[in-house]
Amino acid sequence: MSADRYDVIIIGAGHNGLVAAAYLAKAGRQVLVLEARDLVGGAAASEEVWPGFQVEIGAVDAGLLRPRIASDLKLEQYGLYWVEGQTAVFAPQPDGTPLRLWRDVTRTAEALAARDAALGEQWPRFVAATGRRALLLGGTMLLTPPDADHHGPMDLLSWLPLLMKVRRQGRDEMMELVRVLPLPVRDYLDEWFGEDTASGRAVRGVLAAAAAAGDVPGPYAAGTTYSLLYHQSGGLNGGFRSSRFVRGGLAALLAALREAASGQGAEIRTGSPVVRILLDEFDEEVVGVRLDDGQEIQARAVLSSADPKRTFFELIGAPRLPPSLVRAAGNVRQGGLASRVALALDGLPAFVGAEGEADLDGHIVIAPSVDYVERAWDAAKYGRLPVEPVLEAVVPTIHSPELAPNGQQLMLVTARFTPYRLREGEWAQQRERLGDLVAETLAQYAPDLPSRILKRRIITPADYAERYMLTDGGGYHGQMALDQLFFMRPIPGYGRYRTPIAGLYLGGAGTHPGGGITGAPGYNAAKALLSDRR
Amino acid sequence: MGQRYEAVVIGGGHNGLVNAAYLARGGKRVLVLEQRHLVGGATVTEEIYPGFNYSVFSYVVSLLRPEVVRDLRLPEHGLVILPLESTLTPLPDGDYLYRDGDHHRTRRAIARFSPRDADAYSDYGRTMYFMAKAVKEILGTVPPDPTSLWPGEMGDLTRLARHILGLGSEHAYTLAKMMTMSAADFVAQWFESEPLRATLSASGIIGTFLGPRSPGSAYVLLHHYMGEIDGQFRAWGFAKGGTGGIAEAIASAARAFGAEIRTEAKVAEVIVKNGRARGVVLEDGEEIAAEVVVSSLDPTHTFLNLVEPAQLPVELVEAVQRFNIRGSSAKVNLSLDGVPELACLPGVGRHLAGAISISPDTDYLERAYDDAKYGDFSRRPYVDVVIPSMIDPDMAPPGKHVMSCFVQYAPYELRQGSWDEKRTALGDAVVDTLSEYFPNLRDLILHRQVMTPLDIERVTGLTQGNIFQGELSLSQLFFLRPAAGYAQFRTPIDGYWQCGSGTHPGGGITGAPGRLAALEILGQ
Repeated sequence: MSADRYDVIIIGAGHNGLVAAAYLAKAGRQVLVLEARDLVGGAAASEEVWPGFQVEIGAVDAGLLRPRIASDLKLEQYGLYWVEGQTAVFAPQPDGTPLRLWRDVTRTAEALAARDAALGEQWPRFVAATGRRALLLGGTMLLTPPDADHHGPMDLLSWLPLLMKVRRQGRDEMMELVRVLPLPVRDYLDEWFGEDTASGRAVRGVLAAAAAAGDVPGPYAAGTTYSLLYHQSGGLNGGFRSSRFVRGGLAALLAALREAASGQGAEIRTGSPVVRILLDEFDEEVVGVRLDDGQEIQARAVLSSADPKRTFFELIGAPRLPPSLVRAAGNVRQGGLASRVALALDGLPAFVGAEGEADLDGHIVIAPSVDYVERAWDAAKYGRLPVEPVLEAVVPTIHSPELAPNGQQLMLVTARFTPYRLREGEWAQQRERLGDLVAETLAQYAPDLPSRILKRRIITPADYAERYMLTDGGGYHGQMALDQLFFMRPIPGYGRYRTPIAGLYLGGAGTHPGGGITGAPGYNAAKALLSDRR
Repeated sequence: MGQRYEAVVIGGGHNGLVNAAYLARGGKRVLVLEQRHLVGGATVTEEIYPGFNYSVFSYVVSLLRPEVVRDLRLPEHGLVILPLESTLTPLPDGDYLYRDGDHHRTRRAIARFSPRDADAYSDYGRTMYFMAKAVKEILGTVPPDPTSLWPGEMGDLTRLARHILGLGSEHAYTLAKMMTMSAADFVAQWFESEPLRATLSASGIIGTFLGPRSPGSAYVLLHHYMGEIDGQFRAWGFAKGGTGGIAEAIASAARAFGAEIRTEAKVAEVIVKNGRARGVVLEDGEEIAAEVVVSSLDPTHTFLNLVEPAQLPVELVEAVQRFNIRGSSAKVNLSLDGVPELACLPGVGRHLAGAISISPDTDYLERAYDDAKYGDFSRRPYVDVVIPSMIDPDMAPPGKHVMSCFVQYAPYELRQGSWDEKRTALGDAVVDTLSEYFPNLRDLILHRQVMTPLDIERVTGLTQGNIFQGELSLSQLFFLRPAAGYAQFRTPIDGYWQCGSGTHPGGGITGAPGRLAALEILGQ
């Protein structure tokens, strides 16, 4: 099926683009999704990097996916199947005694208490209080932020139930929420686990690493507590990040989203890069898009799930936009800090202190202290690779053996604080150095790991920029910092999915609530478009 | 019990004095109790070396609220503010950036580094003017309680929201950005040349334990921009006679209104009976009765030392214990045998009568912060230099000079060793740093006073030597300063009040907390 003119063209078949497509198609719109690459998924794609190995390019789990989206779109009917191991975090330590955080909070508390009574007592309280705050934050995700020009009763109406919920927490907790959101996570963790014990240090290190997702600065920076809570907003965290794996990897989630969208009648074309968003002669309204082969497709509305900088500067062009918007969009900080190192292994590595496969079925985190994390950021802020990198690894083949050939394992390592802009040298020369650094660092905790590596693939921020069309390699479409959230995401005044161009909507991670597999930006953008009756 | 007063103010720093002056003006019989032999707290001028007067701690003024100057008629009491007209940033390569009140000259100076920056400079100035205007309203407001459903509190909140939105959405958004950004990112929205970026960002780190790239430092930058002198926003000045001149003027005003001031009278504790403050006990055992007791000390002293914490709600005690009051600044005062000359601009000139900022680039400042984060003082610190004797010749003997060096970072808590062991090393680091720009400095030094954070704490009593009585971070501002539920200058103890920089709107020589607290007390 193909039309001359669509109701809505969606740029990008990442998870947000597909969510938007599904909702719009469900509402009866004639939708065309245009994906530049040959496969859907965007930064959440899986690729067969080596024969038989399905490698996640960006996200490795989908614990933040809003439950409402999964149920509205009946994703489980389309094959989405969640898997949760026992372990939330396995964190090897320099002293050889690893820290384990299980999904079962009581079990963690008991194990911690055996080493450190105060910590064991504090843990369930921390998980409960932090989890409660995180869920409130999660409650903002499917809401459109009010702003300076939209704060009337109608704009606030949708927020009312959440505000009531916040009020019910009582005044102390309300004020506490306001106080902790902008706090450096280092201070937040000190308030909870201030004692300088070995276990306390390990717990604080792991949680500082948890807050480091989102291309944010180190744990001494204000706003990193927000980041910690954001990444727990899907619940089910065991104290770490909301983390739920998908059987078959994220490819299975993307396939389900694709099915859901096309099941509603949306048309999805891969290998069709949009090179231009076409505007009317006054630059006031969208009329369609142009593909790289020159083909022009008309549409009444365009919803871009590409990042705002790419949308504004590459797909439209600064001269056609209001100068204030050009300046504000230019100032969005999107420098990517995360790299992926995928390792094909001939078997599970033996981490010192690990007792079996179950130890490795969650996240393996190398971040022995808060200062370790901060020092990695110190390097990144001067455009250098950290000497001791903060690493998070998952072994998806434990829950989904089909992601690798028989008996072999896949380890997906995320290296934090690897800056897009290097002061010295280019990523092309530094890529292998990063791979070596990751392998050497892991080998300190799993001595047999280097000998088990069959192949490795390194995806640097430069690669994200070049191959995955993420401006400055930033997978979150903009740092998740306090000044780039809510009505300030991506730009103050344009935080409501609309743009100064009639019919052009933003619906990617660059809009509220931000990055990660939430589906919320796509959902909210679709709702904005529908409520405008476009 | 001895004499009876209606109000006793603990601490004769500028906020304590302002508070006392307003209370006395409101008809109260007031006594100020100061532990030292002179009033001023961290706002003092002392002749540490014969003939040379140091503004020992705070050294410039801008933020003193015009309503305080007006209400207390401070000029009649001897307050004279001499303008600080320029900022000079010397650079390691021998170049320099000089900015002063002459707009065209400043533009040309900036244009040497970046024509684009020169063009953006007026726009930046305009924006900051609006920002200062925006927060002016907030400075004069007792923080409402956002959790309250009382019409009064909700009305205050709505009025504030209206005020901010009334500036227009663009300014409201800039304010929101300023509240959350880093100073470096904030100024980078306008400028690309490093000396300008760094020198502007430096206002965002003064007095805080934040780097120029730390989110939240843009607010501190704004905090330093909200001053006005004689109706001119953002102007910085120097008090005749040093900052002690300000304290003396306020003290004189307070006395004129009938307040009594006693020095060398250290308060040991507040007398509390049946949940009500009844007076204070001095260290020597003397008891002074009063219906109202106001503490201008920081929250740590106010809640944990002056009263028995067990008398307070446990949430408040916990909040004060975790209140971020990390010390990060030091002060070096020098007596000089002659004029210190800059390598980049030799000779004596007007440029020496302004501020000289050792902030060549943002990385320089950030590296200084990196050292401090892990518990060392900065090997190459940020130094804000003023030569008061170039502005006010009375500060030093003829032909001689005093040099005031504000230094960051010097963390109160050191990773290794104590400040008593490291004081000299810190002084050396500062002199070494300055000697790179002032080649003749070392030979001119007659006397050097190094005030580490520990010394600031010992002399003034400021916990950890934190000059703002607590970090000006988002989590500790407005209705959260010093703690949720206690931002309206009250304490859980009837008749016991707070009026120091640890309360809204925070540190600097503003007089605002002292004034707002007095108005609250009088309104009761």
